[in-house]
Amino acid sequence: MHELSLALEVGRMVEDHLRTNPGRLVRVGVKVGLDAGVEPDNLAFCLETVFAGPPFHGAQTVLERVSGDVLRLDFLEVDDGRPDH
Amino acid sequence: MAVRTIEVRESLMARNNELAAAVRQRLDDAGVTMFNLVSSPGSGKTTLLERTLAALGEELGIAVVTGDVQTQNDADRLARHTTRLVQAVVTGGACHLDARQVTEALDQIDLSVTRLLFVENVGNLVCPASWDLGEESKIVVFSVTEGEDKPLKYPKMFRQSRYAVINKMDLLPHLNFDLEQAKAFARQVNPELKFFFTSALQGDGLEEWFSFLRSRVGASRS
Repeated sequence: MHELSLALEVGRMVEDHLRTNPGRLVRVGVKVGLDAGVEPDNLAFCLETVFAGPPFHGAQTVLERVSGDVLRLDFLEVDDGRPDH
Repeated sequence: MAVRTIEVRESLMARNNELAAAVRQRLDDAGVTMFNLVSSPGSGKTTLLERTLAALGEELGIAVVTGDVQTQNDADRLARHTTRLVQAVVTGGACHLDARQVTEALDQIDLSVTRLLFVENVGNLVCPASWDLGEESKIVVFSVTEGEDKPLKYPKMFRQSRYAVINKMDLLPHLNFDLEQAKAFARQVNPELKFFFTSALQGDGLEEWFSFLRSRVGASRS
């Protein structure tokens, strides 16, 4: 449940960022410390669940395990629909 | 297509921590000391609070916020011992309280007549360790009917707590619980931890607990 709360918070933060960086969300990167009190596989599953549904529609989630008690939304990849240059 | 990478690097706890800081400021301004009681289920948090409310509820202007996954049984139990406010938060499945829930609970409490506020967190030694609620300190309640290696199994909670109440001491003669080993394990993860030894049911050790609470009310944060 703790992991689901965190995954929902990631969803809320991503929605905030998409308001200022509109586009289709492609990937979401999250860093989890080994001492963060979080079960990484469980969090990965919860993130997949949150980002499978609206408004994210299947964005890929990338969970990186690091040392310490880090727990953060690291990056987003957004397709803004404009052609490459 | 143009995929852009946006570096975010924001803590997942940032919003909770902002709310917790606001709670801390609000309590500071009102001169209220708040303790966050954490433990596994069944350690005796509610009984300890019942005894504390009965003895000091009026003297120290105690209010309580209880968190339970379901039912408001703990709040009902505590309300029988006091006319002081007991505010229940039913988390509806969540395994911890967060600063938003405490912020909302504070709106129901008259802080002008409150000097000491307890949050009785959801019984769980894992999740509540990660959420700052704006408390002065976390106090972990740990009963002698549990394994003495609990501090090693749940180090984050013992590291995050400033005080440990070892409860159900009246049962010690009937158990294989090694008190010295338990203390050693707890100090291994948190050398600064201060202990109380109580039987909330029988009353043993409560005078020292009460003295501590009296000393913390109105004291500046350390």
